[in-house]
Amino acid sequence: MSYSVNISVEAPIENQIQEITYDGTEIYQPPLTLSESLTKYAQKIDFSKTSDIDFKKEPGEAIEDNKSDSDSKDAFQSSLWPWDSARNKLRNAFQEVCVLADVLAIAKDKRYMVLDPVQQEPIETKPMVQIYARKKALAGAASVLLTGAERLKTSQNEAARNRTVPDFHIELLRLRQNWRLKKVSNTIIGDLSYRTAGSKYTQTGTFEVTKAEDDDKTNSPPSSPIPGGATTAKTNSALRVSIPSELQGVAYIEVLCQKDQEDLCSVNVNLLGSGPPASNPDMHWQQKLEAAQNVLFCKELFNQLAKEAVQLQAPIPHMVVGNQIMATVFPGIQLIIGLCHSTVGDKKQQNNNSSKTDHDHVLEHSLHQLLREVHHKNTHHPFPHPATGPLGPSKKRMLAGPMAADRYELLEMTKSETLLEQIIKQAQHFFMRLRTEYVLDTIAKEVKDPLISSHWNTLNSPTQSCVKINISTHGYDALCRTPLVIHVGEKSLKCICRDGKVMHMSYEPQELRDLIFCHINQHQILAVQALAKTMGWQFLANSNHLGTGAVEPLGNASSCLLASPTGDRIIAVRCEPQTGIQVCVAHSPRSDFFPSRLVTERKWEHLGGQFRDVRLEKMEGRNFLHKMELLMASLTSSS
Amino acid sequence: MGTPGTAIDSLNAALKCNIIPNQEYLLQGSVLDQYVEVLLHRLRGLCDNVDSGPESFHDHELCFTLRATNPGAPMVLPLRVRRALDVPDAAWQLRYVGQQELGDKNRPTVVRSSIDMACSSTIVEFLTELGCRVDFEYIARGYMFRKGRMKITVSKIFKMGSMTSKPGEGVEAISQSYLVELSVLAPSGQDAIAEDMRIFAEQLRPLVQLEKIDYKRLGNLP
Repeated sequence: MSYSVNISVEAPIENQIQEITYDGTEIYQPPLTLSESLTKYAQKIDFSKTSDIDFKKEPGEAIEDNKSDSDSKDAFQSSLWPWDSARNKLRNAFQEVCVLADVLAIAKDKRYMVLDPVQQEPIETKPMVQIYARKKALAGAASVLLTGAERLKTSQNEAARNRTVPDFHIELLRLRQNWRLKKVSNTIIGDLSYRTAGSKYTQTGTFEVTKAEDDDKTNSPPSSPIPGGATTAKTNSALRVSIPSELQGVAYIEVLCQKDQEDLCSVNVNLLGSGPPASNPDMHWQQKLEAAQNVLFCKELFNQLAKEAVQLQAPIPHMVVGNQIMATVFPGIQLIIGLCHSTVGDKKQQNNNSSKTDHDHVLEHSLHQLLREVHHKNTHHPFPHPATGPLGPSKKRMLAGPMAADRYELLEMTKSETLLEQIIKQAQHFFMRLRTEYVLDTIAKEVKDPLISSHWNTLNSPTQSCVKINISTHGYDALCRTPLVIHVGEKSLKCICRDGKVMHMSYEPQELRDLIFCHINQHQILAVQALAKTMGWQFLANSNHLGTGAVEPLGNASSCLLASPTGDRIIAVRCEPQTGIQVCVAHSPRSDFFPSRLVTERKWEHLGGQFRDVRLEKMEGRNFLHKMELLMASLTSSS
Repeated sequence: MGTPGTAIDSLNAALKCNIIPNQEYLLQGSVLDQYVEVLLHRLRGLCDNVDSGPESFHDHELCFTLRATNPGAPMVLPLRVRRALDVPDAAWQLRYVGQQELGDKNRPTVVRSSIDMACSSTIVEFLTELGCRVDFEYIARGYMFRKGRMKITVSKIFKMGSMTSKPGEGVEAISQSYLVELSVLAPSGQDAIAEDMRIFAEQLRPLVQLEKIDYKRLGNLP
């Protein structure tokens, strides 16, 4: 059983403050007497509101309403008799009740007054008006239905006509599958920037997707039959993308490598892209968006390169002029990177340019690759191990603390190669490779006697490749072979010689040429020695750097001395890069002896005689070694 | 060039500029074993760079406490040492995690101060010499994801087996569920990230409820 507890709400016992004197004492109002408070509450009763609902609410409301007024009411009603308002209201009520009682008494007798229901006057109905009204209403409804049907019919007809044309929403779905879209109020906005892929380029790549208007559709068929059937299908796309004007057209990064400054002016002509971009409505949205994205990418790439070109401290400063960056790769060789942004209209103009043939597609591709690598690095941070580690710092950086890395190591970690530096290195390597190839090819063409074959490794990096060179003589390759390995770097060559010596060379091609010639000579001498061994000849002496004879412009002459098996014949071979090969033969003892004043006896002839030149060019034999073989054979047999 | 004072100066300057990420914004939740695949699938859809599959981790954590001896105010300083078992050459990590501030209802995440540094394996001996005692240890194994600056780890907690066995062997799972944590390390005052975290947690909502967990209240549970 539940019973409610009465909660009494009382006014605070403290009386209201009437006045505060200057010395701070508070003078309180005397509390109301019982009759005074009864009068006060009675005044608050509003007799005009007597319905049940109001009555329930009243105590709360009335107190609230009147609280503020009560003081003022007290003020001016205090002069009146306190029960005056209550009396007036009661009197009014009494009067009304008396009047009501009188009326009821009279009506009850039914002699003087009768209470009758008041008849409503019937509305006059005119049938014709009703019919007209109904007819009008029906006609309105019919017209609504008819227009609806008409609209359905036209839309169905249109659908039937354009059955081959994809629906706008299906197109939108396809667009959504490949591109980022979002709806902003009533428009569909897409984003073609690479920002989600890690780009930090500030230019936005927003485009707007709209429904292709009908008038465009009707306009397009007359124009489309000229290009061909393929384009008609494209123009009928129900979807239209509008791309900001700065992203319209076609752009690419042009990379040129120039030997001298002669081509400069022709390149300057190539600067284009100031004309108003003409949008091509015939393009399909996919191609249009891809082109725009490419434009954005090229712009970012060029922007980055230009920024780096200005910041980099190069011995020969890089130049950034308009849409071009010029960097010196080697003395006399420039790398020119240009941003070509053209609208479709100028295409013919571009094709006329002859300098287009110099465009280096490989370096352009590398540039694209480099920027994409940067993008990839921006998004693919390594995960920390252990897992509670902070995201961001690389593993190397994390290990820097425990491994007590010094200032230098930490600074090294912060360094990273800029795109421009990397592309310059690639260009340098490209030139080094080209020069090495050229040197090797020309030497192989010039020098017939030892055969020079070069094998380029197929596995290489953009800044490093390797070539293996074999020097051998035709028919004697089993006898002696001089292998060389050349590592082609960015600015230097490293040659690993047959004996394991490592030679470093600069980018000047003459150095490599000299080295190869030096090795050709060495090869000949070594091959003769090897041949002598097989022929049973003795190998007396050998010098790779002979100090005698005329001074060579490059390198030194090398030589060797060979003795026949019986020791009566000696062959001397001298190889010089410049003059070629000299072969001399000495006989001891000489077959004929004439005593002279100095040499009186024949025995002295055993000491060795004078060397006589062999005219190699008159000898039979395919090559030097063959000739030497024949020579040795002839000298051996005669003994 | 540099006097010894400059290191301290630069550290102070860094502190003043408020660039040191020393606040951890954290949301936690758990998911039952049988639904973890679904959660991982969802995370693969939401997070960055999951084309190569989620990154797994396998860590061993030792929790040390250093008790101050002054009788007036008994102070307990917790220190965590963590190492990756699956990446042997990774640095160890020493971490201090401060008291968490739950904040009022308007704050979407727990915020606690967190200072971590990489260290070598001798940290355990060092801490023992300092007078720290091992409070508890566990092994966490699972996957981590990244979404912008947020890191999401889904890990299973294992009790260490007998002390003789090597870590990673003879372990038993503590519960039938995975611990899911969403955390960001940021310099103090970057409360905007907490809002991002709330939105992200919202996207995982039916699978896992990432919330501000009040450990004190959990302690009162029977």
